Amino acid sequence: MEINHLQAPPGFTDTAAAEATTEEYYLNMGPQHPGTHGVLRLVLRLDGENVQEVVPHLGYVHRAIEKMAENQTYLQNIHLTDRLDYLSSFMNNLGLCMAIEKGLGIGVPERGEYIRVMLCELQRIQSHLLWWGVLGMDMGAVTAFLYGFKEREMITDIFEEVCGNRLTMNFFRPGGSSADVPDTFLPRVATVIERLKRALDEYQTLLTDNIIFQERTRGIGVLSREKALSYGCTGPVLRGSGVQYDGRKNNPYSIYERFDFEVPVGQGGDSFDRYLVRMEEMAQSIKIVQQAMETFPTGPYRSKEFSKYRIPTGSYFSQVETARGLLGIYMVADGTAKPYRLKYRSPSFSNLSAINEMAVGYKIADLITIISTLDLVIPDIDR
Amino acid sequence: MGVAGIVTETIPKILDPLPGGRHLVNGIEFIVGWARANSLWPLVYGTACCAMEMMATGASRHDWARFGVEVARATPRQADLIVLAGTIVEKMGNNLVTLYQQMPGPKYVIAMGSCSISGGPFYYDSYSIVRGGDRLIPVDVYVPGCPPRPEALLYGIMHLQKLIRKEGRHNPWKVKEFETPPCIDIHSNSKKEWVEIETQKQAGMTTARERFKAENPDYVPYKAVRRPKDKFPEVPRRPVVQSGLANQDIYAIVHEVFPEVKQVKQENTDAENDKKLTSETLLEFAVTKDHYLSLLTLLKTHATLQMDLLLQVTAIDQHDFFHILVHLLSTRHGHKIFVRCPVAGEQPEIETLSHLYRGAEWHEREVYDLFGIIFRGHPDLRRLFLKEDFPGHPLRKNFKDPSRIVKRPY
Repeated sequence: MEINHLQAPPGFTDTAAAEATTEEYYLNMGPQHPGTHGVLRLVLRLDGENVQEVVPHLGYVHRAIEKMAENQTYLQNIHLTDRLDYLSSFMNNLGLCMAIEKGLGIGVPERGEYIRVMLCELQRIQSHLLWWGVLGMDMGAVTAFLYGFKEREMITDIFEEVCGNRLTMNFFRPGGSSADVPDTFLPRVATVIERLKRALDEYQTLLTDNIIFQERTRGIGVLSREKALSYGCTGPVLRGSGVQYDGRKNNPYSIYERFDFEVPVGQGGDSFDRYLVRMEEMAQSIKIVQQAMETFPTGPYRSKEFSKYRIPTGSYFSQVETARGLLGIYMVADGTAKPYRLKYRSPSFSNLSAINEMAVGYKIADLITIISTLDLVIPDIDR
Repeated sequence: MGVAGIVTETIPKILDPLPGGRHLVNGIEFIVGWARANSLWPLVYGTACCAMEMMATGASRHDWARFGVEVARATPRQADLIVLAGTIVEKMGNNLVTLYQQMPGPKYVIAMGSCSISGGPFYYDSYSIVRGGDRLIPVDVYVPGCPPRPEALLYGIMHLQKLIRKEGRHNPWKVKEFETPPCIDIHSNSKKEWVEIETQKQAGMTTARERFKAENPDYVPYKAVRRPKDKFPEVPRRPVVQSGLANQDIYAIVHEVFPEVKQVKQENTDAENDKKLTSETLLEFAVTKDHYLSLLTLLKTHATLQMDLLLQVTAIDQHDFFHILVHLLSTRHGHKIFVRCPVAGEQPEIETLSHLYRGAEWHEREVYDLFGIIFRGHPDLRRLFLKEDFPGHPLRKNFKDPSRIVKRPY
């Protein structure tokens, strides 16, 4: 039976006031809150449980990376890019290295490019696995968290074997990488890829087909195509809203133009679309890694080293598609060994700025899902 | 006081003076310490990279539930352990102290990673960092690493459990005096200890070496062979894949409407000669303040260019003036355009772009925060990252604040 909330159902003697007045109030959320993925602070204007307005406050982990960059040499800056978006540290390394390569005209040998692409794609899968697990946990499904980390640890093991660190890699250098991959690299990747394919099917039945999950994401947090573009969203958030833009496809860097992969695009721009885009991206990344494994070349992994990296005066720009979107690195060089200005255009910053458009009209519990499907990394926003 | 208080305070107080009562007190304390150590409830507090490793420690493979650290709490009122996972910045400092004060005693702190130990990689040149969590709250265990492995965090937790088990009657609730300055000088103290340990170790090693030589007179020491340094070939740069319109075409379109707008002089381009614009060149238009808004409106609305996405608005301090830099992208075609506009003065001003691109609002707030450039017509021009009372604008080249910045000595 349908109940009209303003009309008394049968049996009630007194009727509810048709024009019941509510009072709006403000609520602080964060910076210490498990749903904000770190130290994001949101101030909400609420009507009951409905979100009327969201005002984010940033800067709770603003570490002045751009100021520090001006006092360090180019190579010393590579390790700081790890700490911007620590779940895409290979991609961040790659962005800065490509900017330096542009400045000095350094080329990269074939094997170096393959190592770069394979590690970046593995990290995209790794980052999405963590996002998947945490998304489940934000909605109360702790099982997803444990499942996601199971496969993630296997990829982390490969990274540890290649570069000695699990999270902050500091591995790529201008002209290639700091070391060659070990002989066990390809067999291990093959094992993990096989495992991941099965895992993705498992995730499908565990979360994607789950009716509770779908009820909580379908039609929630809708971001229209025009709004997404206007706010400068990139990555899965933009693609979830139906814009087919992927830095790997539309502005190909490294050797991405050689691989055959598709760019998944959502239809309506709701939380479920963003979810599906990321799930499909994992499958596409597996495809890229498999293609790279088939044609993995031998030879040098790095081109000639420089003793000093002095970049001629001018401005240089490079962009990479990280797991969160477009990372742009704008570098102003003045001919010395240190950059004059280094600006990181981080994807999460713009993605977060659209949160007010997404959250208004939904419940607080939906806001948590929306934040989770944005896949925010707060140090990437604050820099 | 509750049941726990009776067990740990009242009963020992009565028993202690009795003959043989000390042993009973020791027994009670052993049991209480054992129970406390094996049921730590950590607070979910992660600011940066270390939080990922903390999550990994809690997840399927490493599983800190094996050590009783299972119930991660989101509110400090239910927790008794903070793992300081990640950098603590000035703006977060007060919040951290509040969190610590809200926790009921007995409470413990683990500093995880080099940022919360000493500032770590952000120690030098950073204007916003708190150099170590122990400047704000007392820390029990330090776990070094950047970030530490989950095994290291588990080791730190086990070490903390050892400390808790050893806790005696003299300080049963372990609530440290908060008003006294916390142990800031811990680093120099540990350095002195370290030097002492090293001298002892050296002395021991010298005697051991002499004894070894006396016992094995024929021993020939192993000589290390240095591996020759790898020689890498010089590799030519692969041609850049140009996407979208060619640079010359964009230049021609813009030049038709704004003849005075020029390409910014680069090392490999001539400002006057647009034919030298190659696919490697960064397309940067130098525009004056008068044409700034009209040029960007043209770029956005032009039917062929279709610059529909604003990537960033930022600024460059050129010592006597600032360059405003706007960076546009066409998602349809893939070409990018940079626009540079000089602004000068003590309080430089320029028009806002937030009515063209909504995303510009935050970028402009960031520029206002870090450079002090005012955007006319901006709907909500406030500081974005720093506190409202932060002195000055830190990304200006002449920004100096010795109280915040430690200069890099090399």
